[in-house]
Amino acid sequence: MEIFYSILPDLIRMVVCAVCGAVIVFGNALVMGYAERKLAGHIMLRPGPMEVGFHGVYQLIVDGLKLMGKQLVIPKNADKPLFMLAPLLAFAPVFVPLLVIPFSSKLQGFDLDIGLLVILALASINLLAVLIGGWSSNNKYSLFGAFRAVSQNVAYEIPMLLSLLSIIFMTNTFSLKGIVAAQSPVWFIVLQPLAFLIYLVSLVAETNRAPFDLPEAESELTAGFHTEYSGMSFSLFVLGEYANMFIVSSVATVFFLGGSSGIPLPYFEYSGVIWFLLKVYSLMFFLVWIRWTYPRTRFDQLMNFCWKYLIPFSLVNLLITVVMVKLL
Amino acid sequence: MSIDVEVLEDSRHHRYVLNMGPQHPSTHGVLRVLLELEGEYAMELLPVLGYGHRCHEKIAEFKPAKSFMPNTARMDYLGALIYNQGFAQLLEKAAGIEVPERVEYIRVITSELNRIQSHLLWYGAYLLDLGAFTPIMYAFDDREHILDILEDVTGSRLTYCYARVGGVSKDIDDKFVTRTRAFIDRLRSRFPMYEDLVNGNIILQKRLIDVGELTPQICARYGITGPLLRGTGVAYDIRRAEPYSIYSKFDFEIPTETKGDCMASFLVRFRELEQSLRIIEQALDGLPEGPIMAAKVPKKLKLPAGDYNSSVEAPRGELSYYLVSDGSDVPYRLKVRTPSYSNLSVVPEMCRGMLLSDVVSAMGALDLVIPEIDR
Amino acid sequence: MDINKVKGQWQKLSTAIEDVDYSASGYDYSVSLERDKVRDFAALMLAEGFYLVGLMAVHVTPAIEVVYQFAHVETRCRVMARAFVDEQVEMPTISDIYQGANWHERETRDFHGVVFVGHPYLEPLILPEEDVDLKPLLKEEAKLKDVAAVRRQPPEPAPEPKAKPEPKPEAKPEAVKSQEQS
Repeated sequence: MEIFYSILPDLIRMVVCAVCGAVIVFGNALVMGYAERKLAGHIMLRPGPMEVGFHGVYQLIVDGLKLMGKQLVIPKNADKPLFMLAPLLAFAPVFVPLLVIPFSSKLQGFDLDIGLLVILALASINLLAVLIGGWSSNNKYSLFGAFRAVSQNVAYEIPMLLSLLSIIFMTNTFSLKGIVAAQSPVWFIVLQPLAFLIYLVSLVAETNRAPFDLPEAESELTAGFHTEYSGMSFSLFVLGEYANMFIVSSVATVFFLGGSSGIPLPYFEYSGVIWFLLKVYSLMFFLVWIRWTYPRTRFDQLMNFCWKYLIPFSLVNLLITVVMVKLL
Repeated sequence: MSIDVEVLEDSRHHRYVLNMGPQHPSTHGVLRVLLELEGEYAMELLPVLGYGHRCHEKIAEFKPAKSFMPNTARMDYLGALIYNQGFAQLLEKAAGIEVPERVEYIRVITSELNRIQSHLLWYGAYLLDLGAFTPIMYAFDDREHILDILEDVTGSRLTYCYARVGGVSKDIDDKFVTRTRAFIDRLRSRFPMYEDLVNGNIILQKRLIDVGELTPQICARYGITGPLLRGTGVAYDIRRAEPYSIYSKFDFEIPTETKGDCMASFLVRFRELEQSLRIIEQALDGLPEGPIMAAKVPKKLKLPAGDYNSSVEAPRGELSYYLVSDGSDVPYRLKVRTPSYSNLSVVPEMCRGMLLSDVVSAMGALDLVIPEIDR
Repeated sequence: MDINKVKGQWQKLSTAIEDVDYSASGYDYSVSLERDKVRDFAALMLAEGFYLVGLMAVHVTPAIEVVYQFAHVETRCRVMARAFVDEQVEMPTISDIYQGANWHERETRDFHGVVFVGHPYLEPLILPEEDVDLKPLLKEEAKLKDVAAVRRQPPEPAPEPKAKPEPKPEAKPEAVKSQEQS
């Protein structure tokens, strides 16, 4: 019985964090989905959703209900267990990284010493989901999308990691809270602008967003790896994608933009959350903006860019960082 | 979209057959292309046509020639006024009817507006194929102005049936002239934005430059005309080479590029917009008064025996109508030589060995309208 | 391109060359060919810089006439070359000289049944594969006309008053000598 009481605080903490994680994931999808459609509309000189609610605020809720009500169509020769597994694999791993992100100096699920490794490891499971989904659909277009996604994600994880490593070398810790704390006088974007740019480009490629959205290139592959998915399975992919965007943007904020640091607001103890969300959502606004502005790169140009430009630059950046850390 | 392909049992080459089926976002219309892919390289391409065949040439042999005018618009719905003009010219040439000068001016103005509208749609749709979702909205915004102007005078937005043998169906008024002049100014003011945001984009340039190179020799062997031929350096435009209507009165340039790749035809079409605006301006300045229908056009239009050819410059290339008549008012044989037919036939040679994304880029640069291929 | 030199080369290959009034009919020359000279003619046109506008068939008696249309990019010169098919409704292909003729010949095979000997892939292009023998553009017996009926008639002499102008199908105009295949 004592064992139970001794682990009770942690249990309660886990339950509360899980609930908060779910709220964040679904709330983020609601906000981001609406923001994306509205922003896309205004960039394209049209108003976007206007029907349901005032200027369409209930659009995503209604869409979610619609998707839940659709029939789950499974193609005849598809690999059924894998076909059903893929959306779950895309969706399930997004909860754990949310536990280690410091929303403010006092709001963090678990302050793990290896926080960054947890995030990176679980972000890679998304790739497995894409591959399984593309393969099990029994559709050549989906397979195409899956192949492209595998090459692209595997390639762009390297500059992502290398640019983050430069920061790790400066702060000597993997814990996200420690990294935020180490940015007290000046944010790392000032000290490591090149790493920030490289990380930003890898971010766009990792989340399969335009101009690197070849795995789901609509005009070439008719929706790529999620061609055959309908209804709730499709919405799980989308939820996973938006949550993934949120997580990698949060990592960028924590590493380069000072996390939750900012002017503390009076009478509000957790004012860091406001600043944190502001920074994360401005990065996501940037992602939405470039999606609707630029055409798609060709696949070999994408891979060339990664292997011939991003990786050498990030290695050079890492080298310079190491030398400077040793000297200073 | 489910597959309907057979997997090739050729393990030597690791090739498989991918079907860019009749329903596909980037084959503009019902075109089916069977691609034999090795990895992502298209080794063999086989276009399969006929999904939109509506027997226009057979229909022409059963109707009086004058009644065929609406059918001409259904062949190329984007260049319908130009198709109308070519067919009306054919019958006027055959029957020996002289049209009043105002009619020629009206036909030129509306045809050039039609050309601009077709190029704007191509521009937006091509960029949509390449993954840029926004320029199509801007191009369609400009295009809506043209459609509104033309709707007032022709009655339709897309498949026009405006030209008649001997004239046009309805006269243009001052409102048309003012709106067209306002549109010319508006489009001219939009060009810097298009050039900055779209044409100068590095991603677009990397996708279009050096993709799908054509040479004047290839174009001669395949019969390719229009902006594709002008992109290879040959300044051949039917409006200048065999001037029809009153094109010889106008001062306009023929934009050409030298490389012959997708970027070349892209820039040629973009610059043709400006040249069409110049023609419209000059035509509006010189618009004479007069009747809009020739004096004596018989109800039953007997076409003297013989064969007649009428060639016009459609937005996609050279459009030629060839009429064989036996003396009655029903054509004995009508052949419509459409530009996209010859332009598409180069795809198996041009796209061999290209990446799949490049096949999409190259086919978009051909500016195909499939109904005019299938007729 | 020197048109007179080219016309001289045509003289050797063709049976008749007619200068046509461009403003009345829309093309410049009509060249009548024997069936076995079609390929040489096409090779000559390609060497002189003409491009193939298209080729089509007209169903007349005594035989289907295949019309090739060429045009030049530098000087205005539009040429219609005509040849009749033989009894087996066959014609030599020019698709190895002008690759654009590949599809035009397939379409002619679809609609008129003309078999182009030597064509690499003479499968239906516009019609479905199962309608190979449909040949929709062939005329029925009642509508089929003689080749002279679709040729340009000479200008009528000054008509007497009250005389109805009648078409004279049996009069063969001197300018055009279209050979009938035996």
